[in-house]
Amino acid sequence: MSQPIAVDLILKNLAKGTEKAEKRARKASEVLLGPLETDIATTPYEVVFQEDRVKLKHYVPEKITHKVPLLIVYALINRETMLDLQPGRSTVQGFLDHGVEVYMVDWGYPTRKDRYVSIDDHVNYYMDTVVDVIRKRHGLPKINLMGICMGGAFSVMYSALHPEKIKNLVTTVTPTNFDTDKGLLHIWMKGVDMDGVADTFGNVAGDVMNLGFLLLNPARLMIDKYVGFLENVDDRSFVENFVRMEKWIFDSPDVPGETFRQFISDCYHKNLLIQSKMELEGKRVDLKKITMPLLNMYGKYDHLVPPEAAEVLPSKVGSKDVEDICLPTGHIGIYVSSKIQQQFVPKISAWLKEREAFEKSPKSPKKARTPKKQDTASAA
Amino acid sequence: MAEDKKTDGDPAAWMNAWTTSTTDFLRRIMGAGGGEDASVKHPASQAQKMLLSSTKLLHLMLAKMSDPASIEAMLQGMESLPEISTNMFQQSIDSYAEMQKRWTEQVSRIGKHTEAYKFEGIDENVFKTWKETYEKEIRKFFNVPALGLTRFYQERINRLVDETNQFQVAISEFLYLFSVPFEKTAKVMQEKTEEMMEQGDVPSDVKEYYNMYIKVLEGHYMTLLQSPEYIRVMSDTLNALVKYKRAKEEVLNDMMGALPVPTHKEMDELYKDFHILKKRVRTLAKRMDQWEEKFSPEESGA
Repeated sequence: MSQPIAVDLILKNLAKGTEKAEKRARKASEVLLGPLETDIATTPYEVVFQEDRVKLKHYVPEKITHKVPLLIVYALINRETMLDLQPGRSTVQGFLDHGVEVYMVDWGYPTRKDRYVSIDDHVNYYMDTVVDVIRKRHGLPKINLMGICMGGAFSVMYSALHPEKIKNLVTTVTPTNFDTDKGLLHIWMKGVDMDGVADTFGNVAGDVMNLGFLLLNPARLMIDKYVGFLENVDDRSFVENFVRMEKWIFDSPDVPGETFRQFISDCYHKNLLIQSKMELEGKRVDLKKITMPLLNMYGKYDHLVPPEAAEVLPSKVGSKDVEDICLPTGHIGIYVSSKIQQQFVPKISAWLKEREAFEKSPKSPKKARTPKKQDTASAA
Repeated sequence: MAEDKKTDGDPAAWMNAWTTSTTDFLRRIMGAGGGEDASVKHPASQAQKMLLSSTKLLHLMLAKMSDPASIEAMLQGMESLPEISTNMFQQSIDSYAEMQKRWTEQVSRIGKHTEAYKFEGIDENVFKTWKETYEKEIRKFFNVPALGLTRFYQERINRLVDETNQFQVAISEFLYLFSVPFEKTAKVMQEKTEEMMEQGDVPSDVKEYYNMYIKVLEGHYMTLLQSPEYIRVMSDTLNALVKYKRAKEEVLNDMMGALPVPTHKEMDELYKDFHILKKRVRTLAKRMDQWEEKFSPEESGA
């Protein structure tokens, strides 16, 4: 037998809700119409090198405790500003606080002119050039390299092709194994004919990428996110953080067509990278040539690069010093979650410091200490 | 008067009389205009001559048409016209009847229980029917070979129209597919609400109800986005978009050819050459740097 509906209770709650909504709306208008600090990438840096659309940003800590600088290579999708999204949650600032001198590649905004720029151009030209610039600036034969997502895949390729220039390799949320049905991107990309897209459109438009990422979870990303915003619109701090994230997430450069074509074809369709069969202009990317220490970090709840796509790499490289860490977070939570940042940056910093051995110049190298073998571990 | 009696009741005779009198009239005008010096080549006299010859030709044609044998042949041709029209209409009516049958089946399914979290066999028949009809009845007109000097332009325009139609269908199907989870979620929420009302467990807070709704909607989308149906529709839409864009670019290139503006195609060729040149220069520059380092290390700063 159905229970009677307490109509008077519903009406009372409705009245309360209306009163709350009215107060919130008043506060919200003060917040939205008032001054908001929504700038991103506010950590000071200097552009020390530029070629074409590619820039090299240099961040200097107050006190340098790591002798070997770290080059961070972000993906071509979205922007590297995510690593410096807001004060107090900036990965870059975290490294600086730990005394790490940071260089970061800014891939810029490709135009139609860049449609023929391939993965080989990105890896063996742009990356190689900036690595040489850093090596020359510091008089070092090798530097530390950290890659993020597709930038991590590029870093893996670079390290395999130029192991003599890389001291330690850190890969974060990096897809290297594409033979998995976990993660929507892996399922979708198998049905996409990239040749037609690259030939017809030239570059893959940033707006198309944005739309694609929204479609990964339309209910949460197109509806619930904004409902949450409206619920907290009277909170200045929340609004500022939200707007910063919006600024970053929709700041999507176009991706050069040739690069995207090869990435989808060789990685998503044929899974050549993890099999050491991928070639860049005839040069084979042999993962066994990655003999430098490797730290591989990824997110347990990453819907773009699921653990299955990232965890295979350590077993395929030639290095004996590998560490594998699975963090309880998602794809970008690893960089923007304050809780995870307390583990993420200190871990990398400590790991690099442990493996540091100063080498002044290529002509008079000091013999590096051989680091202890690390067991791969999944930390909860 | 005697002549009038001759033409009475005979249309052929009327036409004959009319063309004869027109020819005479024009001859008189020409005679008046070119009377002083008929041998002078004047543009006006040329035009008059052309008009006269056209009138003579018309007179001959009408004389021939008034021939009983010719009239019979014409009437036979006209008799077959209804048969041709009937055939054409019949085909269209058959296709329409097929579509209407499917629509009726679709309407009859309204109100039936839509299974939650299942996307097999969803109501996509209307798109399938339209695609089949389009393929069978309409598309063939765009594939009729074009003729003449402008044949290539015409073919490209036909292709554009064809691809536009196909893209519109594909995007409609894609958008429809995206609306299906809302439909299913509404049904599930309706059932859940009925259950809760029976148990007296109606949430007093709208937020709770919303959270339930968004969770169910998310679940439906997660199921849809991994389903083979979605992959197929997404792939078809993307392919249709690529073909449409390609066809549009071809027509635009034709139009832009008349303007002093470079097209994407022309710029792409330049970009390609530029890219190859840059690559060569970089390779050479790198080699030079390596040689310099090797043979004159002090100068290279190494």
